[in-house]
Amino acid sequence: MRNTILSRLKFLPVLLLFSFIGSQSFAQDGAALFNGNCVACHSIGKGKIVGPDLKDIAKRRPLDWVTKWVQNSAAVIASGDAYAVQIFKDNNNVPMPPQNLKPEEVKAVYEYITAEGAKAPKVAKAPVAGNNDEMPKENNTALYLLCAAVLLVVLIYFLGTALGHLNKLSRQKQGLPEPPERSVLGNLWFWMQTHKKIVAVILIFFFLFGTVKGWYVLWGLGVSQGYQPDQPIAFSHKIHAGDNAINCVYCHSGVEKSKTAGIPTANVCMNCHKAIKEGATTGTVEIAKIYKALDYDPNTQTYGSNPKPLVWNRVHNLPDLAYFNHSQHVVVGKVQCQTCHGPVQEMTVAKQFSRLTMGWCIDCHRRTKVQIEGNHYYDNIKSFYHSDTLKVADIGGTECARCHY
Amino acid sequence: MEKQYWKGLEELQNDPEFVKSKNQEFAEELPLDEIFNSKAENNSVTGRRDFLKILGFGVGVAALASCEAPVKKTIPYLVKPEEIVPGVANYYASSFFDGRDYCSIVVKTREGRPIKIEGNELSAITKGGTSARIQASVLSLYDSSRIKSPLINKSAASWNAVDKAVMEKLTALYGSAPVVEDKKGKGAKGKDAGTGKTANVRILSSTIISPSTHGVIGDFIKRYPGTKHITYDAVSFSGMRMANEASFGMAMIPSYRFDNAKAIVSFGADFLANWLSPIEYSKQYVANRKIKGSNKTAEMSKHIQFETALSLTGSNADERIAVKPSELGLTVLALYNKLSGNSGGGNLAKDVEKAIEKAAKELSENKGNALVVCGSNDKDVQILVNEINTILGSYGSTIDIATPSHLQQGNDGEVMELIEDMNNGKVDGLILYGVNPYYTLGKKQAEAFKNGCAKVGLKVTFADREDETAVIDGFIVAPDHHFLESWNDAEPKKGHFSLTQPTINPLFNTRCAQESLMTWAGSNWTYHAYIQDFWKKNYFHEGKTKEKHLMFEDFWNKSLQDGVTEMVAEVSTENTKDKPKAKEAPKDKSKEKAAPKSLNIDDSIASVAKSAGGKDFELVIYEKVGIGNGNQANNPWLQEFPDPISKICWDNYLALSPGTAKSMNLKQGDMASVSAGDYSVEVVVLVQPGQAAGTGSLAMGYGRTNAGKTSSTKTKVIGVNAYPFTQVVNGSIQYFVGSVTVKGTGKTHGLAATQTHHTMMGRPVVKEATLAEFRKDGRAGNKQEMIKTMDQPLKGEKPEDVDLWASKENPGHPRPNHQWGMSIDLNSCIGCGSCVIACTAENNVPVVGKLEVIKSREMHWMRIDRYYSSDADVKEGSEEKKDFTKMEIASEQPKVVFQPIMCQHCNHAPCETVCPVIATSHSSEGLNQMTYNRCVGTRYCANNCPYKVRRFNWFKYADNPKFDYNMNDDLGKMVLNPDVVVRSRGVMEKCSMCVQRIQEVKLVAKKDKRTIKDGEVKTACAQSCPTNAITFGDWNNKSSELSKNALDTNDRAYHLLEELDVKPNMVYLTKIRNEEEAKA
Repeated sequence: MRNTILSRLKFLPVLLLFSFIGSQSFAQDGAALFNGNCVACHSIGKGKIVGPDLKDIAKRRPLDWVTKWVQNSAAVIASGDAYAVQIFKDNNNVPMPPQNLKPEEVKAVYEYITAEGAKAPKVAKAPVAGNNDEMPKENNTALYLLCAAVLLVVLIYFLGTALGHLNKLSRQKQGLPEPPERSVLGNLWFWMQTHKKIVAVILIFFFLFGTVKGWYVLWGLGVSQGYQPDQPIAFSHKIHAGDNAINCVYCHSGVEKSKTAGIPTANVCMNCHKAIKEGATTGTVEIAKIYKALDYDPNTQTYGSNPKPLVWNRVHNLPDLAYFNHSQHVVVGKVQCQTCHGPVQEMTVAKQFSRLTMGWCIDCHRRTKVQIEGNHYYDNIKSFYHSDTLKVADIGGTECARCHY
Repeated sequence: MEKQYWKGLEELQNDPEFVKSKNQEFAEELPLDEIFNSKAENNSVTGRRDFLKILGFGVGVAALASCEAPVKKTIPYLVKPEEIVPGVANYYASSFFDGRDYCSIVVKTREGRPIKIEGNELSAITKGGTSARIQASVLSLYDSSRIKSPLINKSAASWNAVDKAVMEKLTALYGSAPVVEDKKGKGAKGKDAGTGKTANVRILSSTIISPSTHGVIGDFIKRYPGTKHITYDAVSFSGMRMANEASFGMAMIPSYRFDNAKAIVSFGADFLANWLSPIEYSKQYVANRKIKGSNKTAEMSKHIQFETALSLTGSNADERIAVKPSELGLTVLALYNKLSGNSGGGNLAKDVEKAIEKAAKELSENKGNALVVCGSNDKDVQILVNEINTILGSYGSTIDIATPSHLQQGNDGEVMELIEDMNNGKVDGLILYGVNPYYTLGKKQAEAFKNGCAKVGLKVTFADREDETAVIDGFIVAPDHHFLESWNDAEPKKGHFSLTQPTINPLFNTRCAQESLMTWAGSNWTYHAYIQDFWKKNYFHEGKTKEKHLMFEDFWNKSLQDGVTEMVAEVSTENTKDKPKAKEAPKDKSKEKAAPKSLNIDDSIASVAKSAGGKDFELVIYEKVGIGNGNQANNPWLQEFPDPISKICWDNYLALSPGTAKSMNLKQGDMASVSAGDYSVEVVVLVQPGQAAGTGSLAMGYGRTNAGKTSSTKTKVIGVNAYPFTQVVNGSIQYFVGSVTVKGTGKTHGLAATQTHHTMMGRPVVKEATLAEFRKDGRAGNKQEMIKTMDQPLKGEKPEDVDLWASKENPGHPRPNHQWGMSIDLNSCIGCGSCVIACTAENNVPVVGKLEVIKSREMHWMRIDRYYSSDADVKEGSEEKKDFTKMEIASEQPKVVFQPIMCQHCNHAPCETVCPVIATSHSSEGLNQMTYNRCVGTRYCANNCPYKVRRFNWFKYADNPKFDYNMNDDLGKMVLNPDVVVRSRGVMEKCSMCVQRIQEVKLVAKKDKRTIKDGEVKTACAQSCPTNAITFGDWNNKSSELSKNALDTNDRAYHLLEELDVKPNMVYLTKIRNEEEAKA
């Protein structure tokens, strides 16, 4: 008897294991089915998207009702089922389209939802302010150098004094007359006067160093390469353009039509973020800023009457005196965005990649081939130069009034 | 004997000041004395060392400051309107009408704000033309002097308060008033029928050509019986309406067809600038003036003008005869007598008699294709004109009475009656719409109007600013939208409809006048809904529109998109019927072509015959091309717009002929006191050749005390008001006054004239020929210029034989793709200046103000030079002492030539070679490029430019309180073209041939992978030209419209200052005058 029980007990873990695996596999099917069929309209515990939040559906409705509903919601409503009618009404009379799911599949989804709902709700990670700014680290080299220089001066001072004392002592010993009493600076001055060549070399070195350094400083005036300002919303190009591979033009839709690529307007954000209410890194905090700007209530899915525009910090600033047209470069010149803007798809915070100086423009115009092929606009030029390999500069791409007017 | 041209009397008379400055190129002297004056150096606060210190510090600070770039913000739309792409312009068809001028337009908007107005080429009336006033109207939208909210007792109030105040008074008058509900778009029309009581409410408006507005007013009248609508135009055509009523039984104004006229005689009608529909007439007029085809068969209309002041139209006439305003009627009568074979007529001067004979001959030769128009507002004169046109068979060919014009519906008689009623306490309510009577009425009437106002209980004005009338005590100001903010429709001519659509949200708390009226009549409709409903009911009938539309929405959208729509058949004008009797014309009659009934005109003849004035000095009140009747007086573009004739901006003046001025002992710039009756003004004198002897002329529209910051500052009002001189004679307002005394006051006043600026040193730049000469020789008047030197003429060397830049071996720089250029037909150019304002609007040209203009520092990229000429002999003397005495007489009656001048874009540009920093260079497309950010301001280029088209920024004109015009004003800056840089101080600028437009079209073509079509690029000046005098194009495109005007294809083509051989891309075509053989 004991044996049997024991033997039975022996199998218990195995059974448990099996049952666990079984339910797990169901849940996994359920996950796949849910993600494949339901996720566009429903969430589990994250609020309403198009249809209601399905968390705790098991507490609200039995499985057979849900099965009927999923397979043909219209029929359930037509049957006069009070709950169904209410649901239909609550969702602005938008019917749920019938899903081509077998009862056991519905069951899997049902169980998956129950299991997911039982999990502890995720606490959105509140981002630490300024954490993702990726501000360039303070450059401490200069400080170290300054410390070293001070140290060196002190060292020289002590060594000098010691040397002076030693010199005095040795003169005293040898019975030579006392050297004139001089201050430290006086000593330095004396030394400089006796070692004019060395002083000259040092001075020339410093002059040259200063000139070269000054030249580079001047060269960089007004150039804000690497400029990476904080933005009101911690928008990450890496997540959007990189991880999710959204085409640049989807948001910057002006780029093919206008001189400006355009900062996407909040209604473009809402195309996706109506459904995606929570991000992978910043949770709901940043996305909520879009909602706030539009005065949008994600729970009732309604827009309020008090929208406030988003004020972004411009990353790329061309001076007013330069006319630049994105569509010329992107559509006619077929230049990739990254050519000027760098690997935006890897940037968490947008940053100015290129120098954006006139020299930089001109360099590119000298290097870049004109996209003559198939464009009849260039017919005259083609027949004039008998060449297919003209550079932009060859057809007037470096003339003043192409950009300055 | 070569024809002599002169720019102003200073040059003609060898005024010592002018002779001095003539060879100086720059009107201004360099302040060298000041700089080198030792006294100045010693006393100067900043010594040399201090200067160097400050300089060093300045450089350091500038370098430091530039290290830290300011953070720039960018604010995208939250929800982007579908039609807007930031950076791309949208165009909306609309209509301009301000009670005076009508024009079908296309409004260019950028990011939701209108920045430029262009002509609408789909319009059968204006055909894509515009005028200076219409071009400038976009700036009036951004006028910060507009009222920002409704006013009660001169303090801001809400619309609810205004409605309450108005309704209370209406309730008091009518016993009840409708309850106003909140506007909810297309609600129910007011059902409240009223109590049946009547009261004397008067709506005084300027001409309304909007059928829907007439409908709204009709509804208001229905709700408030006893209300009467009176039309008052500041510039009245009442006399003509009365005359037509006498002649044809209907008080209307016909449509004129100048394009059918081969002989035109105008008696004081300035139809190219101010008379009725000037844009329409400019297009028509020039159609018969342009030279088409071979020179042997060239045809041109003949145009004879009788007038007092030299007008734009008179300056374009083939023959122009100056007559006193009181004799204008007699002149008409003389012509009538000549044509009808009657004897008699007045005792006119011999030259006038001669001209009348000639006019009669021309007209009779062209019977059926002749047209006589008259600008007189006297009924009897107009009756005679009607008779003349009947004799000439003009009705049906050059005058179309079947398609009456709806412009100028003013009825002076009713206005005078109103003023009388007001003073007699017979008026209970007064609603003003688009009128400013206290400013525009004659002295006596204006005073009476003001006194009468005190006796009117309800006073409302829809004024857009606190104008002269709106500040009269007791007026409730319910500001109307600007036309670019509101919906409206228009029927300028019978059957020709157009729509006005808003192109921007209202900037201020204003409400369109129609909606105000509708609200007070108890309707909560929007005016937009009303127009749609009105159009649906009245115009959307199968077969009535030219194109068939099944749905009203299609019809509406098409009409809105085109801006204009035409009806083929007659449409119901039911709602417009209770308006001026013009519309009440029996329909069968209006269909008849030319059957004016005969009437006894003896009364008219008698009335005209006794109108002759004595020898008294007479004053004409006229409209200037820019300011017009003064409703846009606060527009700095128009104030700085040089008058086409006098070339004076920022002022009005008493124009006197040289002889008259001399006899009165007055010089240009003297102040004179002008008085007639009990009105007197002190005004500056301008000596104006062409002005009739014994007369003066003074422009209306100036002297506005309440127009806003540009025209009236706290300390100074621009010009003087001329309206009070007008008087009511023969039932209508007359714009001239006799028995005027003019006295010098001994004071002087600076006049900002631009003509003698930027002189071309007396070199021949205009070329002209008579039609007869031209028929014989296509190159008449267009001789090939040869090289001249100081010492002796070379042996017939052509300019291109000597060339610094190119030779046969080295033909110069290639133009592989485009070579942009322009041709300007001097024969078509009427000098209206539409292009000047268009250029200002397109290229962010700053306004510099009167003082700077006096210093020759105006910034207009494009100017229209006006040259006077005469055929009189000039005794050759030394260069300095040419004897012009014989031209004295001719200078009283000069011929006028207009010549638009902008950068000539020389292929061998003298400016480019002297720039030390290569800030001006040449493009491979032939453009002379000016790079502002490279310019250091040496001004060498301006010195070396033979055409004097370069302008230097002496100051920063934007954000500078010293130049308090549109660019020192957040609102005014909204008109700036975002594609063009606002230049800063110390740089040179000039015409860029609208390179931003060229680049834009090039990009469109590149994106479409095609070549650019001819006519696709249009510069702002070419687009705005009402006479198509300017043709822009690509010289490389051999089939382009422009290439027809090339030097080797068109005999009339020439380059300005050809002998310099700077090879400009601009070409001018000689002016041809239809006059007798040149006398010389």
